[in-house]
Amino acid sequence: MMTSVFKIMLRTLSALAVTLLLAGCGEERGSGLSGQLLFQDRPLAQAQVEVYLKADKDRSVQPFAVGNTDAAGNYRVELPPGRYFVIGKQRGEGPDGRPRMLMADAPGNPYAVERDTTVVPAFNLREMGREGGLSTAADSGVSGKLTAAGRPLDRAFVYVYTETATGLMGPSYGEAVQADGDGAFRIDLPAGRYHLVARRRADGSRSGELAPGDLNGAYPGNPVTVRRGEHLQLGPFPLTVIDAAVHARRQAKGTFAVTGTMLTGQVLDPQGEPVRGVHVFAYLDSRMVGKPVHISAPTGTDGKFQLHLGEGGTYFVGARSNYGGPLEPGEWVGTFDGRPDHAVTVAKGSSQSLGTLTVREVW
Amino acid sequence: MKAPAVFLLLLLLGAAPAHALTLTRDTRWSGELRFAEQVTVPAGVALEVAAGSRISFTAGGLEVAGRLVAEQARFSGKQWDGVTLKGCDAATRLRAVEISGARTGLLVQGGAPVLDQLAVRDNEVGIELRGKSAATVRDGVFTGNRKVGLFVKDDSAASVTGCRFENNGKYGAYIYRARPAAFSGNRFSANPVGLMIAYFGSDPKIEGNRFENNETAIEVDRAAQPELRRNLVRNNRTGLFLQRRADPLVTGNRFADNQVAIRLAFSSYPRITGNDFTGNPLALRLEFQSSTWEREQGAAARAGEVAAVGAFGSGQGAKTVTEAERRPANLDGTVDAHGNWWGDAGSLELARGGEQGNPGFIFDGRDQPTFREKGKDYPLDTVVFAPWSGAAHTAREEWP
Repeated sequence: MMTSVFKIMLRTLSALAVTLLLAGCGEERGSGLSGQLLFQDRPLAQAQVEVYLKADKDRSVQPFAVGNTDAAGNYRVELPPGRYFVIGKQRGEGPDGRPRMLMADAPGNPYAVERDTTVVPAFNLREMGREGGLSTAADSGVSGKLTAAGRPLDRAFVYVYTETATGLMGPSYGEAVQADGDGAFRIDLPAGRYHLVARRRADGSRSGELAPGDLNGAYPGNPVTVRRGEHLQLGPFPLTVIDAAVHARRQAKGTFAVTGTMLTGQVLDPQGEPVRGVHVFAYLDSRMVGKPVHISAPTGTDGKFQLHLGEGGTYFVGARSNYGGPLEPGEWVGTFDGRPDHAVTVAKGSSQSLGTLTVREVW
Repeated sequence: MKAPAVFLLLLLLGAAPAHALTLTRDTRWSGELRFAEQVTVPAGVALEVAAGSRISFTAGGLEVAGRLVAEQARFSGKQWDGVTLKGCDAATRLRAVEISGARTGLLVQGGAPVLDQLAVRDNEVGIELRGKSAATVRDGVFTGNRKVGLFVKDDSAASVTGCRFENNGKYGAYIYRARPAAFSGNRFSANPVGLMIAYFGSDPKIEGNRFENNETAIEVDRAAQPELRRNLVRNNRTGLFLQRRADPLVTGNRFADNQVAIRLAFSSYPRITGNDFTGNPLALRLEFQSSTWEREQGAAARAGEVAAVGAFGSGQGAKTVTEAERRPANLDGTVDAHGNWWGDAGSLELARGGEQGNPGFIFDGRDQPTFREKGKDYPLDTVVFAPWSGAAHTAREEWP
């Protein structure tokens, strides 16, 4: 604990030293982060940028560094080399005089800072409601009808994203609703610009990796702009079946990409027997929640896995049978326990064995 | 799925290995077929399996997004993936089909297939229903499955009637966050746990089933709130085990000849009324059950026990259970079990002891005033058994 506090103090002092040095050096700048905050795609002045060392949601600790946006929504924060989580905030009043809180995590968190300035892509803040989700507004939103092959499609979920940085995938959506038996959906949303996608998984679930045969689609009119007091009728929203060949090509990229950097090992049950059908996950976040950055193919009958990683670095490693959602009875689950924090550090371009990873069944 | 598109795969002269394939048109299987990889029946394609067919897999399994019709056929293998039905409607019908040796014999993801008289044996999991499936499971036999005979999950609204669950490895059937449209007329025997109902959101009506010769006939755990009505629970080691905030309604059942008819533990506050208890050495047994403990420790203990935890047992999942939903409504140190018939011998004992007595067939705070946890003594709750019934609620002829 003392060590980490000392490290933070050291970094802060380093940052302060760098800032002071820069004050006397005219235009020359040191390392840091810069970017622009937006709201409804417009520059957001006088907003706050907070920089954290960890992705803790409760953020009970003070931010490592803080900056403010200028009239053009731009900001720059001096930072020593390291990896940082950026969030944007603005507390104020909305056009109707109500208190309003705008907030968003930078979609690409965390950002690595090396010798010079790392540019964080501009991102929109969104109005926060209860539970941190999008605040709803009864007088504005969108409605539409999901279809497949020209017919109404029931049971699919519609996801509302405010950013495209994650490729409109994963749990960073602001809202998700399930269409009714006729494919109709209605979502109350505050005024803003949104990207809508819809998915129907064969098992009916709201989250999880898509598979061949599932249905998927992005609304053709994306992005959708909702104005105050306006409820948009979107009309038909077509979904198509995921083709097995296309899916296989996608699997070869992204979280499943085969790279030269990987972790290997074997998944065993408490009796030491290999366990089949378990995925191994790598997270950058020690809490190991949300979407992992890399996922292994399921283990075979020998329990062995290869987890390909994009970059070298420190990853937090867990294993379970399902892709997402709460643990279910009958599911295998476990963590890499070579370190108490379940972390492993791997150098880029190297293959590192984790040995065995023990999983247990949840009942 | 037009008739002219149907072609026949007839293998009448002994077994021949078949290759992995995706069926592109309506197909009929007959005879003996062996596969070593996945076979896929995509949406819009129908597979018919003729009576007497024997389909075996050394790897992979059968995945159906179109239609499957099979009768008196056998699907088998050794650690194969089993049959998966993805969103199949009631036109998918399996009747008198045997499925064995799979990791999950039959995985039903959504849809409403009709599964009649299936023999599901020696799989890891016999049948798993999920994705709000409204499947009909009727008159099946689930035996020797190493973990669970029938898993009903994920808001499944299936109808499960007339089935037998015997000699399964852990659970005959397991209901997890689901409310079957019907769960009645089933028989459970020789299972470690006949029927498990667990986790908040599991509130099925379990009616008119028989549970005999199981270690535990029915277990209700972790804030599940089913209704248990008109079931026969006979000759089990434990008839009904309630723990960790399990609050079922238990009414109209007959508990006969169990070593313990009902065990309660860890802040479970059911309503037990209108039942018959006969021939059980212990009708009700309370263990680690205390309103005082619940008031002082319950919420904190549950904080680490919420079902909707994240991927690796920490964080929060999408479907959060609030403490308000899990808090007992009444914490006065009692468990409600009034209005039951305690058998001829029990009724005599009650008549002798009256409302203030300590009947020998109930073990509660009258027998053991406190229990100790982490160095502190907590009072064990007591059972409210008065007023009691003077006559049986259930008719013997109801369960011959």
